[in-house]
Amino acid sequence: MNTVIILLITFPLVFLLSLLFEGIDRKVHARMQKRIGPPIIQPFYDFVKLFNKERIIPMTASSRIFTTVPIIAAAASILGASIPVASLIAGSNVGGDLIIILYLLTISPIMVMIGGSSSGNPYGAVGFSRKMTMLIAYEVPMLICILSVSVNYTSLAYYDIVLTQVKIGSLLALARPSMAAAAAAFVLCMPAYTETVPFDMSEAKTEIVHGSLVEYGGPYLGLVKLAKSASNFALSFLAVSLFFYTPALLERYFSPELGGAMLLCLVTTLIFMVFTMTVPRTIFARLKIGQAFKFYWLVPLTLSIISVALSILGL
Amino acid sequence: MKIAARSRIKSPWLFHLNTGSCAGCDIEIVATLTPRYDVERLGCILVGSPRHADVLLVTGPVTRQMLPRFIRVYEQVPEPKVVVAVGVCAISGSPFVGSQMIEGPPDKIVPVDVYVAGCPPRPEAIVNGIVTALKKKFG
Amino acid sequence: MTEKFDEVKEVKVDYTRLRVPLGPVHPALKEPISLTVTVRREEILDVVIRLGHVHRGIEALAETRNLIQTLYLVERICGICSHSHTTGFVQALEEIGEIELSDRSLHLRSLIFELERMQSHLFLIGIMAYEIGFDTLFMFTWYEREKILDLFEEITGNRIHHSMNTLGGVRWDLSPSFVEKVNCSLNKIEKSAKYIQEVFQDKTVEKRLCGVGVLDYDEARELCVVGPTARGSGVKVDIRKAYPYAAYSELKDDFSVVLRNTADAQARTQVRILELFESINLIRAILEKLPDGPIYKESVIKLMKKIPEGEATSLVEAPRGELLYFVRTNGKEGLWRLNVRTPTIPNVLGLKPMLIGSEIADIPVTVASIDPCMACANRITVVDQDKRETIVTDLKNLRNRGKKQ
Repeated sequence: MNTVIILLITFPLVFLLSLLFEGIDRKVHARMQKRIGPPIIQPFYDFVKLFNKERIIPMTASSRIFTTVPIIAAAASILGASIPVASLIAGSNVGGDLIIILYLLTISPIMVMIGGSSSGNPYGAVGFSRKMTMLIAYEVPMLICILSVSVNYTSLAYYDIVLTQVKIGSLLALARPSMAAAAAAFVLCMPAYTETVPFDMSEAKTEIVHGSLVEYGGPYLGLVKLAKSASNFALSFLAVSLFFYTPALLERYFSPELGGAMLLCLVTTLIFMVFTMTVPRTIFARLKIGQAFKFYWLVPLTLSIISVALSILGL
Repeated sequence: MKIAARSRIKSPWLFHLNTGSCAGCDIEIVATLTPRYDVERLGCILVGSPRHADVLLVTGPVTRQMLPRFIRVYEQVPEPKVVVAVGVCAISGSPFVGSQMIEGPPDKIVPVDVYVAGCPPRPEAIVNGIVTALKKKFG
Repeated sequence: MTEKFDEVKEVKVDYTRLRVPLGPVHPALKEPISLTVTVRREEILDVVIRLGHVHRGIEALAETRNLIQTLYLVERICGICSHSHTTGFVQALEEIGEIELSDRSLHLRSLIFELERMQSHLFLIGIMAYEIGFDTLFMFTWYEREKILDLFEEITGNRIHHSMNTLGGVRWDLSPSFVEKVNCSLNKIEKSAKYIQEVFQDKTVEKRLCGVGVLDYDEARELCVVGPTARGSGVKVDIRKAYPYAAYSELKDDFSVVLRNTADAQARTQVRILELFESINLIRAILEKLPDGPIYKESVIKLMKKIPEGEATSLVEAPRGELLYFVRTNGKEGLWRLNVRTPTIPNVLGLKPMLIGSEIADIPVTVASIDPCMACANRITVVDQDKRETIVTDLKNLRNRGKKQ
């Protein structure tokens, strides 16, 4: 019962935070390009506007899949984002462990992908194939990273790993060489998951017209966008609290249940998001799908396998 | 209701359709995105699919070949939508009046909300046209 | 030799092949062109190019107007190379009417020409960056481009359609104080052009451009591609050197033809970036040599009435390549025939060999790398849509068709 109440409180919080973070990301991106940029609350305007638009279901689409998929995507990614946030607020494991969180966060891209291919648009089909390739490219190293963490601390419970950092008084990424490798691999997977340049080929506007999103419009597009920004936020938050839980450095001043720790964690998430999403988006060009796949199986996969090997050795 | 109207004014997504213009207006529309004019500060972004759009920027005098595509794109934009005719060609067909290949200015085919004059109009004028259209429709 | 679409024989459906329509309305293409691309996964198997979406009947329209009206009409063929079009047209008229131009007006014509080349190349470099998803570079190049548009605005009063040319000269003069200003802007632009050149050697950019859209030397010669597309493939064509017009015969030593041999998108972009520097050199030379004198002869209306019946061809090097104008006047202020061959027509033909065998991700890059100007190219309808028939024909048949009509 308690779990449900905490999660219900966290839902609106995650909704607000994820849209706010997206707004900040857009603003920073614009400032880096010598532009003024949109107001920070721009994503809220976009969201409200999209919800007040006409619903169009294309004739070629299979309408049931097309309309239900965005709802599932948004629900899954908000739930996925709520679990870690709620765990930190409640100071205990809420809802589920790491496997559940990663599972929920993978649902949303898969759902968007299915929705895109159900629209009957050839660009949706190309977007599907590209996203599938990318999913295989980044999902494998990401899961191996989590495996390495769990081998190290013999736990898959999210809050236990956060507490470990508080106990050792250091960031997990700095604690052991195996964890440093895992953190590096996880960070490298971030731009692919969030689909920002250089790895946004599944939604490339100039190549395949937003890929899976091409036929979506109005409220459905709003939900898909919400799902995307919520899962971006969720993954950044997860990465920060797993590997870079900064309140752990100041454990004397913050007990982990307090709001201050949460705030510091959010600030770190924001900085982390700027460096893993906004900066690559500004300074790189989009890669081709083959090049991206090669990169992911060369660098992050190797790193994550090294990390697992090191953790088994106990380093 | 008020929030809905406000967010519509604050986040107009543009779709740009060339119906046979000389590319002058198209360049100026793209130029509105660039740092000097930066239309994104008003919440506008140039989207790639008409399904995402709120504002349809039409340039050119609608050639015979583009006519069916123009109607199709117009229908694909979800309601409520705003149509802005950019450039003299899109107002009257200006230098191409009398040509057999021209199916008449866009307002013969779809309802146009705002006309932006100029050959081509300056980026400031285009931004002004978008803002005027939104205020007229939702303000 | 005609083959009807309706008579469809049994079709074997190959589910590994996907037909992706690209255009005529597509965010990567600022202007309508239709490419139907058959792909297997990401690999392109076949491309069908269709033009004609911007066909406005300008050549037919020109026959109903007088010469001065046509001058402003041909300017509207294309918004990016408007000065090239008017220069081509006016030069042909001046040849027919045997009008001598003052040196100053010729130099001013060349000056605007080079400024236009710079803005067009910066435009393309920006679009290129936009196609590969590098928004920051796009913003940066377009920010620089605004500086050239400012110069245009101060010289001629317009940003895009300058209306600089007129029969027997140019319409606007440069004041001595303005020369300083142009020089000052040029210095700034040169600096940022160097920066752009550096950015284009960035690794992710190179990964997207190198080896994409290869059109080797022999194929380039065979398809008669022109301009930077040809120069990127190592074909040395430049009308400014080969058939100097305006003031280029005096400026021969102030610029060189940029050639690249790798023949891919990177080479074509490099050619354009290096041509920026050549243009800067040219403009400096023009400003230094700028002779005194009148900028136009006499009232255009009087000149127009003096033009006799006759025909002439003129060639100019537009930013995209060779631009040919054939003009036949009727001696009564009007035209019998106007024929324009724009650089995009041969260049678009080069798209097919460039695209086949590459990936979907390469389409926008390849299309952008030839810098297609659809507004220029679409004065010829290639496929008759109403009758739903494609015509596969050779030269002999084409001549016969011409006789029949």
